[in-house]
Amino acid sequence: MRRYAREFSVAAALLVILLALAVFAPAFYQAQPLLSLLAREAPALVVTCGMALVLICRQIDISVGSQFAVVSVCAGLLTAANWPLAAAAPAAVLLGAALGAFNGALVAGLGLPSIVVTLATMVAWREGLRWLRQGLWVDLPEGAQWFGLPQSAGQWLLLGLALLVWVALALGSRLLAAGRFVYAVGSDAEAARLAGIRPRLTTFGVFVLMGGLAGLAAMMNVVQSPQVDPNSGTGLELKTIAAAVVSGIPVSGGRGNIWGVLAGLLLLACVSPALTHLRVEPQWEKAIQGGIILGAVAAEGLHRRRAIP
Amino acid sequence: MNLSKPALPRHETFLLLVVIAEWLCFNWLGRGFGSLDNTRDIVRHSVEIGLLALAMTPVILTGGIDLSVGSLLGLCAILFGKLWRDGGLPPWLAGLCTLGLGALAGGLNAALITRLGMPPLIVTLGTWSLFRGLAEAVTRGVDTFTNFPPSFLFLGQDRLAGIPAQAFPFLAVAVALWLLVHRTSWGRSFRAIGFAPEGARYAGIPVQRRLALVYVLAGLVAALAAIIYTARVGQARADAGTGYELFAITAVVLGGTSIFGGAGSVHGTLLGVAALAILSNGLVHARQPREASGVLTGVLLLLAVAGPRMPLGILGSPRKSLAKPSRQPQTGESNDA
Repeated sequence: MRRYAREFSVAAALLVILLALAVFAPAFYQAQPLLSLLAREAPALVVTCGMALVLICRQIDISVGSQFAVVSVCAGLLTAANWPLAAAAPAAVLLGAALGAFNGALVAGLGLPSIVVTLATMVAWREGLRWLRQGLWVDLPEGAQWFGLPQSAGQWLLLGLALLVWVALALGSRLLAAGRFVYAVGSDAEAARLAGIRPRLTTFGVFVLMGGLAGLAAMMNVVQSPQVDPNSGTGLELKTIAAAVVSGIPVSGGRGNIWGVLAGLLLLACVSPALTHLRVEPQWEKAIQGGIILGAVAAEGLHRRRAIP
Repeated sequence: MNLSKPALPRHETFLLLVVIAEWLCFNWLGRGFGSLDNTRDIVRHSVEIGLLALAMTPVILTGGIDLSVGSLLGLCAILFGKLWRDGGLPPWLAGLCTLGLGALAGGLNAALITRLGMPPLIVTLGTWSLFRGLAEAVTRGVDTFTNFPPSFLFLGQDRLAGIPAQAFPFLAVAVALWLLVHRTSWGRSFRAIGFAPEGARYAGIPVQRRLALVYVLAGLVAALAAIIYTARVGQARADAGTGYELFAITAVVLGGTSIFGGAGSVHGTLLGVAALAILSNGLVHARQPREASGVLTGVLLLLAVAGPRMPLGILGSPRKSLAKPSRQPQTGESNDA
């Protein structure tokens, strides 16, 4: 139980907010708006799971927002060119994985600092996309939205898909050898190497997985609207890093638990609708999210000071 | 820390050649690029990011990072407008109060980083959101401050002895920071902290106080940049300076400062700022799309880190190459998971 104390405290904070909403603004619990909110956050959950793994590997990836935008537009163009969704979706995941592999090759292969590499690719991908597309929106054909399903069925499908990815990654990072490699490399790359793990290959794999998940998330975002916004994914990198940090994954690597990211993301995501329902000005959203991040940081710091006298 | 003298030219020399090459190239390609007016324009548009990059240099030298400076610029611009218009203060007094707020906000970062021993990346990610959110909350996202008196706008739009007025505070900050980083024992201690925080502590350096100093300085300079931004644009808005933190970090890293801390220079940062500013202005004059400068900036950044000088520190030790450095003296790896 103590092992998951951090995850439980985040979940408890989320529960308090949800209870407060139930008392003061029961309108929050209307089924359809709530489902829409969750479906909107589903892509972010997928990216946050990947980001959590990247942080556990003691790396960082701030190019996910740009990867997301590039894949969104490409997937939109493929769909508009009458590719069936069954073909466009794998293509999107592969494209994302290729973008991730580029980061991974530079970080793991050349040993460059990941924060600089992904800063460079973040700027390059986004500006390159603007250069080629001049900010044009992509119109999707009729049947593409919600996979051609009714809206609520499509939303349930996206939600289920995101939860599936979450469960798979949380279990995989606990039970699979490859998942344990990520923790080992993030904890101490040299010790992991001496233990027979290949740190470079592991790091490369994590970046490829991150890119693939960003691609999947982009596809999940594309099907939610009739048009593709070329600026989608702006700020996604800091949003997902914040969600991972709030859920208790330290940037120092080697620790943390992917089970927690769901509560962390929902805690940040429910600020905006909660403000609307409690009739507070919505402009407070960022300030409150910043407060939540700092609160999580302070809790972690105080906890650690007590743990290590 | 120059442990072994590289046989290749220093990073700064190389970057200086890049800047000169850019200048010559755009002079040849672009119409009216080399004119005095355009040079003034480049200076005018690069002062704010230049200030942030200057203040970011000591932060990164200590192995830290400050993501909050762009948001703080927005918050300070709003506070300045608020004090002047709603508080009825004269611009100089409002400016002083704004500088005070900047230092206070930097102090918040510093307190969280040094007192709680949390990584700067995370702390400043939190304040990045907090400061921008406060700016938006104060203005409700719509309020902007305009109609500043001409005596104040002089700072951002006019020139003194043929040089844009904002170049003078910029030069003052640049010289002061250069002296601090390169000519005092404090500057040396920044590098020592970035190179080996624990070692610096054993060497008797007051690590916490030095770290606090660099974050307070960053806040102070961000406030100054906010005032200059307001004077140049003639308007204070909540979204002022969005994304500037990443440009500043890019300029610092391009200037040869190691993102792991411990090595770097203020003049390198100045050259980095110049390289970025000339690139984005020159491409417009060469009638290339603006976006090309973003792509080229990314490529330049990758070349700068992958270039000949950096591998000495990075490829030399496999552990450091794969490890994001523990950015804090006391992020002891307690494996209690």
